[in-house]
Formats: sequence, C-alpha cells, structure tokens
Amino acid sequence: MCIRLQRWPIQRIRAERPELEAKPIVLCETRRASRRVAACSTEAEALGIAVGMPFAEATALAGAEKLRPEAYDPSGDREALEALAVECARFSPLVGLDDSPTPDSLLLDVTGLAHLFGGEPALAAAITRDFARRGLTAHVALAPTIGAAWAVAHFLQDKQAACGFAPPSQTGRSRKRLSAATIIPPDGTAAALRPLPVEALRLSDDVVELLHSLGIYHIGQLESLPREDLTTRFGPQLLERWDQATGRRAEPIRAQPQPHELRVERSLDYPTTRRRTIELVVEQLIGQLARMLVREGRGAVRLDCRLHAHPSHTVNLSVGLFEPSAAPRHLFELIRMQLDRVWLASPVSAVSVEAALTAPFERRQEELFADGRSWRRPRQLAGLVDRLAGRLGRGSVLRARLIRDAEPELAYQYEPLVAGCHGHLARAFSDALARRQCHPTRKVKVDRRLAHKRHPGELPPRPLRLLARPFRLAVVSIMPDGPPLQFQLEGRPERITHTWGPERIETGWWRGRPVRRDYYQTETTTGRRYWLFRDLAAGAWFLHGTFE
Amino acid sequence: MSNSAPIQSRERLVEALREQITHLERARRTGDEAVVPSGCPALDRLLPDGGFRRGTLIEWLAAGEGSGRETLALGTAREACRQGGAVVVLDRAGEFYPPAAIRLGIHPEQMIVVRARAEADDAWALDQSLRCPAVAAAVAWPEKLDGHAFRRLQLAVEQGGGLGLLMRPERVRHEPSWAEVRLLIEPLPHAAPRAGRRLKIQVLRSRDHLEGASVEVEIDHETHLVHPAPALAHPADPRRAAGA
Repeated sequence: MCIRLQRWPIQRIRAERPELEAKPIVLCETRRASRRVAACSTEAEALGIAVGMPFAEATALAGAEKLRPEAYDPSGDREALEALAVECARFSPLVGLDDSPTPDSLLLDVTGLAHLFGGEPALAAAITRDFARRGLTAHVALAPTIGAAWAVAHFLQDKQAACGFAPPSQTGRSRKRLSAATIIPPDGTAAALRPLPVEALRLSDDVVELLHSLGIYHIGQLESLPREDLTTRFGPQLLERWDQATGRRAEPIRAQPQPHELRVERSLDYPTTRRRTIELVVEQLIGQLARMLVREGRGAVRLDCRLHAHPSHTVNLSVGLFEPSAAPRHLFELIRMQLDRVWLASPVSAVSVEAALTAPFERRQEELFADGRSWRRPRQLAGLVDRLAGRLGRGSVLRARLIRDAEPELAYQYEPLVAGCHGHLARAFSDALARRQCHPTRKVKVDRRLAHKRHPGELPPRPLRLLARPFRLAVVSIMPDGPPLQFQLEGRPERITHTWGPERIETGWWRGRPVRRDYYQTETTTGRRYWLFRDLAAGAWFLHGTFE
Repeated sequence: MSNSAPIQSRERLVEALREQITHLERARRTGDEAVVPSGCPALDRLLPDGGFRRGTLIEWLAAGEGSGRETLALGTAREACRQGGAVVVLDRAGEFYPPAAIRLGIHPEQMIVVRARAEADDAWALDQSLRCPAVAAAVAWPEKLDGHAFRRLQLAVEQGGGLGLLMRPERVRHEPSWAEVRLLIEPLPHAAPRAGRRLKIQVLRSRDHLEGASVEVEIDHETHLVHPAPALAHPADPRRAAGA
C-alpha cells in the first residue's frame, strides 16, 4: 500500500497553521544566492507560479502583499513524515518512507491485514479518515507491489482528479477533505500500469528523457520492446523498477524503526504510604526495566520514577547518570537515595519507572580518560559520581576547567560531571549550558583555546583558598601606592614581614564589572601567607585568599 | 631564585641527588604500590613505611589559616593519583581554588570537586568517596568527627584503598583518632622567604615510635618541591620569642 501526500511540504505547513488554508503558499529555498520557489500550493499554481521559478517572478505574478514566502525545509518535511510513519504502525507493523530524496509518501505492507479492518476498502477508508483528521489529504493506493501502488497513487489519481473523479470538496471552514483510494486487484497489476506514464516507474530524469525522445510515454509501450535489450539501452534502472512494479522482482520496504518505550508501570491494589512496600515495587520495576535495557544493548542515562498518589498528586524522581547503566542494583540505589528524601503526603496508588534517555553501552564517557591517564576503575568511578550527583544534585559534582582569564574568580569554571537533560549525545551543548548556569550573570567572551594546554608551571602563583567574596581589611601602608605593612584580622594586628608584588590585574570596561587591583602575596611574622589586594578604584584593601 | 647564595644552591643540588637516591632505594625496598610517597622526602623519612600506606586516613592539623598545610596535603594527593585514580575534593565551604591545585600538578581531569551544602551530605560524600576503589585520594575538611564517624571513615578507606586526607583544626590534637598518621603543620617565618616558605611538620601520631618527631621543610615557590630546610638558615622562632 502506498499513502501519498500530495504537495507534502505545503500540506505540512497547512496542517500546522490552518489559517493558511486556501491561500497561495510558496516555499522558497536559496540556491546560489537566488531565491527560488521550491514548492507551491495549487492556489499559487493557478496564479501561474511554478516550481523552480525565481521568487521575484512569483511575486510579480501574485502581487507582493498576497504572497508570503515560507522557508523550504526538506529535513523538517522528512522528519514529519517519519513521525507519521511511526503513527501508522496502528495500520501495519511494517511502515516505511519511499526512497526518493524528498519523500512524500508512506509505504505500508498490509499483506494479510485487511480483514482486521473489514476488507481493503474499509482499511483504505480508515487511513484516509485518520489523515483527514490531521488535516492532511492522502491518496491511498493498494496494489500487489510497492511499485504499482506508488505508481497508481501518484499518477492514476492525478488523472482522476483532472477528470473529476475525486472532486475537491472544500466547503468553507470545514476542513474535511475527500481522499481517493484506488485498489488494484492481485491480477490487475500489469493492466493498471499499462496506461500510466513511464515516470510512474520511479525513474531518474535522464532515463525518462531518453524514453520520451524515443516516443515512449506509457508503460504499456515498454512491453513491445525486446526485454533483453532494455538494460543495454537504458541502463539497469528501468528493468529493475519495471520488474519491481510488476512483481517480477521483490522490493523491500525500508521500515521506519518504531521507538521502543522503556517504561514499566504497576498500580498498587491498596494505595500505601509505607516506604518499604513502595521501595519493593520500585525495585521490581527497575529489575524489569533493566532486563529490557539489556535486551536492547543499552543503558539508562536518565531515569524517571513517578509515584502517582491519590488523587492527582504525583511525585517525580529523576536521576541522571554519568555513564549508561543497566545494573538494577545501581539504578535502584540512585532512585532510593531520592526516595529517602521525599515526603509522601498521600497514599501512592501507582508507580512507573521510565528510562527517559538511553545510550548504547559502548558509548562511554571518554573525556575523563583523555590523554592516557587511565582511571583504574572507570566503572566504580562512574558509580560514585552517579551516587554523589543523585543525592547532592548534578550541580554539586564538578570538574574544574582552566580558562585564560586574568581575573582570579574567572580563571576556572566548574562543569557538572553528570549529563543533564540532553544526555551524552549533546554533551558539548550541555557543557555549554552548565557553564552558563555556573555564571548566570557574567557574559564574558574568553579565549579558551590555549587555556587547558598550559603547563601547570606557567600558571601564576595563586592561593589554594580563595574567599567567595573579598574581605575588606584595615591595612597600614606607608606609601599611598606601596605594599601593605600591617593589617587587622579578627581584631588582632598581623605584621607583614615580606611581600611579593604588586601583580596588577586589570580587566576592560566592556566586561560590565571591570576590575583594577594590585595583588600582594604577603607573609606575616608567624609565617602565614595571605593574598591581599588594593582595589585601585576604591582605594580600599581586601583579603582575597590564603596560601594554605 | 636570583638572590639565592651559591652555597645554598650547591646544598640544594646535593639534597636533590640524595632525594633521588632515596627514591631509588625505596622503589627497590618496597617495590609495591601500597605506599604513597608524601611528596616530601623529609617527611617520608619520619614515616614508618617511608610514605603513607594506601587505605588509611591521614590527619593534617593546623592552627589558623595560611599555614601551607593544604599545599603539602595536595602534594600527597598528587603522588597518590600518579598511577591513576581520582582526587576528590570535598569543598563544602566553596573556597577551594582549583587553579592553585592544578599548579601543584594535579591534572584537572583527575580532580572531582564535590560541593555539598549540608554538613551531613558532606560527611556522606566523604564516606562514599573513600569507599570507592577508583578514588586515589579524598581531601576533606570535616567539621565534626566523633569516634563513631571517624571509625566508619577508617573502615571506608580500608575498603576503598585510597588515601583519606583530613584537614582538621589544631585543637583536636588530644582527641582520639582512627587515622594512621596525625601530622601537625606549623608555618615558620623565613629569613629569606623569596626562596620559598618554611614549615614545620610534626608527626603527632603514627604506627611507629616516631611520635613527636618533627622536620622543618621549605616549599619552593616555583617547583613546589619540598626540601628540608637548610640548617644554615635556621632563625629563632619569633612566635616563641613573642610568647605566642
């Protein structure tokens, strides 16, 4: 069976935005600096607009105010069609897209299925109804072969529509459309194909052109040609496609993979707040889920657990993992750590556990193991990181990264070790996100190209303890710009015996919060070392860190 | 060190060679990975095994701030993770400054910083980190540590086989301990501090009979190598002179 969605890009846009109904729509793509029409609606075609026409010409034909160009998005069209294919799984277990670069039809294997829907016409009607409900016009063709179904769906119905067999019935705002279904009986393939044009065989343009130049316009005309000469004259494609259409050669449907739902659920006969019972249920569910994961060769990267409590209150527990895992005990431990901290207000009536994000096992987290420093036990480390992040939150388990920035507070950044909602697949993205989360207010463009390649010895001396906020000090110094001699700390005077510095740290005004400081490393009479700075703007002294 | 006297640099060279010999000797003698050098050869000589045994807790006591204790402790952590493994820093105060640790030679990709908000979470995270065999060293500033909790940490580190480096205030020096080694770090004023900073490391407790033994060391500013303090530059301790 072939379900054809004529002018699919236009149909998709109209289904998403019903206000565009019955208006001329033009989809434009920019190719070699010129905007051309990539697809247009029948209303636009009626104005004389054709595919491939420069957009300027189309505007001239339709009038600039009437024509609003939309962006042509072939990958979006394909994705939407793939999503439809997934939904069509209710009609057939085997659904695929046609194999053209810009597909506009779905191929379904409905062999032996029609009786479930009450016969082939009823099945076709059910499908057209289903599509009409989505605001789509579908041409359905049932034929013994994929090739024939495709040919009939694309070419027979154009003809029928032209002859008025399937009149468009767009009555006002009721978006009900009549879709046509054609059913070819098992022995009628060749007869149905014969009057169709040779384009219906899904041939490349040059083959069609060659056939046309020889005066061959219909498939029926091919039958009079010597079969054995077809390949030498027209290439292998013609014979292959023709044989596929007539059933002499098998053609597989490239099935659209159906996403597996990795979710298990159980409702409790007697709603309860007893933790032990709930834990037991969660543990069993995670065991089931882990078996499902193992079968798929995948591990959970994010696990969501929902406790449905009476009447509409739901407790959501979610854990992110450092590394994909399908170990039931580990997953359960992570969930339980969160469960321990949840207060259950009302009895729980149902529990569900879902692996919201999974990754294949071989996709290991490599970054920590970069540059040959092997972690002796990566699995245990991953377990530790998961447990820590599970209880403390992913923002509390961090890795530091150096950044080439003069301002000490900005010379490094923390990144969470556990992937967030984007998972491992978009690790770079989530890292960037995490960076933004760490410094929500600072928008600093930093050159980080060399930051992490620096040799540790090249780094300036810095204290191991940096106060979160510089602490204002009363400091004695002889010269106004000179080094400090004594300062008061917790009420007692600290006399400075040695100072190193000043190290001037100055950042530009464009940073929003510019910094102008003279830093001094100081040693007091007791041998303790402090990091002080004089704020050059305010003229005040601050303690910023201690050399622990 | 532009202003260091030539005699000092010769002494330092001899000392460096001596350290190398000690390293070679130790490598032959122990031959296994069970002992981690402290990163400070002078301190190693005070320790019964010539370093810290893996799977033990080490207490680092210091009074006040700016003593240089963490520099020594992170030097030990750096040695511990040389053969692989992570260094977990339990930074509840949020004042740990990673660039300084990286400058000490700990690779940023080997360092995990855990910032728990609650004290109970911090203690739990320390316990978990010590228990994990992939952790070479965990550095923590536990606020309270009663006998029970201390014993649990000791069991955890025994199970994990890493090093538990506990930074504790000096006032707990008379409290009971489950640590294998308890050290007291005191800063010393330096006559020529441009060369480095002076510290006194005192072994308050260890398995052996060297309790109370102490050594004065100097940490080089540039290389972070810890040398024994040269005997020539032995100043009077002004703290004692001041009656502190």
